[in-house]
Amino acid sequence: MSDTAVKSPAPAPPAPPAKRDRTRLIKALLWIALLVVLLAIPLYLDAAWLKAGQYMMIGGVGAIGLTLLVGQAGQLSLAHAFFLLAGATGYTVLSGPAEDERVFGLGLDPGLSLVGAVAIAALLGLAFAPVSGRLRGIYLGVASLSLVFLGLYLGQSAETLTGGTSTGRTPQPFSLFGFPFTNDGPEIALMGVPIRQAERTWYLFLLLTVLAYVIARAAVSSRIGRSWRAVRDNEAAASVMGVNVTRAKAGAFAVSSAYAGLAGAMTVLWFDILKPDESEFGTYGINISIAFLAMVIIGGLGSVPGALVGALIVNGLPQVLSLYSADLGWFSGTGDGALTPILVSSFVYGAAIILVVLFEPGGLAAIGRRITPSKKRHLPEEQGK
Amino acid sequence: MKRMYPAVALAAVLVLSACSTKAGDSGSSGADGSGVKAGKGVTASEITLGVMTDKTGVFKNLGLGITQGNELWAKDFNAAGGACGRQVKLETVDHGYKADTAKTLYPQIEPKVLGFVQLLGSPVVAALKQNIASDKTVAAPASWSSELLDNPYVMIVGTTYDLEIIDGLSYFQEQGLVKDGDTIGHVYIDGEYGKNGLRGSQFYAKKHNLTVKEVKITSTDNDLTNIVTGLKGDGVKAIVLTTTPAQTGSALAANKALGLNVPVLGNNPVFDPVLLKSPAANALDKLTIVASSVPFSADLPKAKDVAAKYKAAYKETPNGGIPYGYAVGEVWGAVLKKACENKDLTRDGIAAALKQTTSASTEDLVAALDFSKAGTPATRQVYAATPDASAEGGVRYVKPLFEAPEAKEYVAPHQK
Repeated sequence: MSDTAVKSPAPAPPAPPAKRDRTRLIKALLWIALLVVLLAIPLYLDAAWLKAGQYMMIGGVGAIGLTLLVGQAGQLSLAHAFFLLAGATGYTVLSGPAEDERVFGLGLDPGLSLVGAVAIAALLGLAFAPVSGRLRGIYLGVASLSLVFLGLYLGQSAETLTGGTSTGRTPQPFSLFGFPFTNDGPEIALMGVPIRQAERTWYLFLLLTVLAYVIARAAVSSRIGRSWRAVRDNEAAASVMGVNVTRAKAGAFAVSSAYAGLAGAMTVLWFDILKPDESEFGTYGINISIAFLAMVIIGGLGSVPGALVGALIVNGLPQVLSLYSADLGWFSGTGDGALTPILVSSFVYGAAIILVVLFEPGGLAAIGRRITPSKKRHLPEEQGK
Repeated sequence: MKRMYPAVALAAVLVLSACSTKAGDSGSSGADGSGVKAGKGVTASEITLGVMTDKTGVFKNLGLGITQGNELWAKDFNAAGGACGRQVKLETVDHGYKADTAKTLYPQIEPKVLGFVQLLGSPVVAALKQNIASDKTVAAPASWSSELLDNPYVMIVGTTYDLEIIDGLSYFQEQGLVKDGDTIGHVYIDGEYGKNGLRGSQFYAKKHNLTVKEVKITSTDNDLTNIVTGLKGDGVKAIVLTTTPAQTGSALAANKALGLNVPVLGNNPVFDPVLLKSPAANALDKLTIVASSVPFSADLPKAKDVAAKYKAAYKETPNGGIPYGYAVGEVWGAVLKKACENKDLTRDGIAAALKQTTSASTEDLVAALDFSKAGTPATRQVYAATPDASAEGGVRYVKPLFEAPEAKEYVAPHQK
């Protein structure tokens, strides 16, 4: 992963055109190689590992959204889990069967519902703009935290939408143009490997993650990204340069919420159930907001590839260690003093956050930038690694 | 830049060679010499059952107890000859009470097992609901919500939360603690457990014209003094709890401190012997517990036998999970033997055998169980007990297994 970063084309360093072309070609080849590996993974790994990989991709999509908001636009948000719940509920309600008497559904096409869920989350993010536009730093963090509690309350009380805490509700399985992402439908085999639910969902999530990544990179290196960074660094100066500060802030919040909404819809597809939390810790609780913040800090604030690497560590480590411990009997102690996969991974990413804050405020992205052969760069925060 | 070529080359080689290590799902199930059909998790000499437990999360004590109960049963069952000449083996994984971990571990353990003797934790059971249905793995959840019974592969060993509360309120009325037309309070955690208990008190209230003051809390609220104060203002004659042990302690202490002193009813999860050493210890006399499985120290021949075996094999402090874990094993044993008679040890065969199991006996560790009616709890009988520091295990029976007439009439959410 680390040697596959792409840099936005530098503003014409005086390099001979032939050399520039070669660099570009190598980069393209690298990206293709990475994609080929990711596409080939389902042919080699078992369903449990694919499930873990999908969970990392959910984290990746959400973390990209948060890194744009916190790192690029400089707005601290702890509300990410709320928008996850909004996207999850949005998808489930839009695609849910219309004739169910217990819960409300609109019976839309799942593909359309996924887009709808992202739109709903974005609109909710926009609705929070009056608050996010007026507050800064830790004050905004605390204000946005209230949304998580609002989500807890709404999830419990809006039973016709969420199915309630005692049973939850089953989301409509995803299908695209009639092709189901479950074990039903046409029997497909690639090189002797049957492509069933786990494999199909892997490809779906991979597609969504790639889309999320490409769009975020484009936003960062365009006018939008520049206006976000201007607002982050100095609002007065940004105004003078003609940036509409209120709009830039609201836009950043909406975009980040849309990403969280997509991650939320992916979450219900991954769990096969939408179940609102019973307390403030859970699938859509404070712990999730904090986990996303950890991904963003470890990866390096504002770095899109960094957010993906942060998600690999924070969401992936507990999963991978649990799988290994079941296989190899690692960390299989019990009781109070036992080292468990979940505890070990908490230590690891806790330590990672401390190390990043102390020694490398730019996170893994900055380390990546340092070890890749670099030419003259412009704004470092604009790049990935 | 040259160092990138190997990576590209390697990826290309990987894909082109495509000597995929993943075998297709053959799902071979042939019959052995004696004509018994075998499927996933069954070999010529072994039957593997899965245990997904919590060894390290919030329910680690209960999880460990149930798992040890499962292990004791497997030992006894194998010593008695097993089923179809096969020995039972347990495959255990720890999910730490995290639904996401459980969801990832499930595909790893599922191909190795015939069914699950333990699935601990309502978030985990909820997350795995679809998997259990599509893989047809019969599973015994360590969660007693009647809402789970819409899944034909779920085997609940014991009485569901709603029926426990109905039986308990009926016992209160029998004792003259509540009368028709009274007001009662019900404090519940908004979730699978608390809400299912609330169904019970709502049903009973309708039958007997009671007014129920419902108070919703979350599992992290630990001080219930204000809530009990409010209930006192409402003039309640009794309080029903479907809460955590810590919350139970708080509610009982407030009940005494505020001079309310009404009887309090709770089901199995509300009480933990630890409360007897807590500041609430001298307020516990007002509590009655209704439960379908016996405590560790129950005065029953089978429970004593399990307790003696436990003390010989393990060092940890015992809890009520041990007899329950053993009882689930006994039910599984009955189902396996039934499947052997039918000469079908596939997952379909197990599901069919479960439906034919009309009176699984666990020698009173839980009441006799009838799994033949879809969506209906397998038993409606409970024990009533009260905390007693002098009794081993911390509770003393006040009424042996019984079933209230109201419980007979109650229609569970998925009952056909």
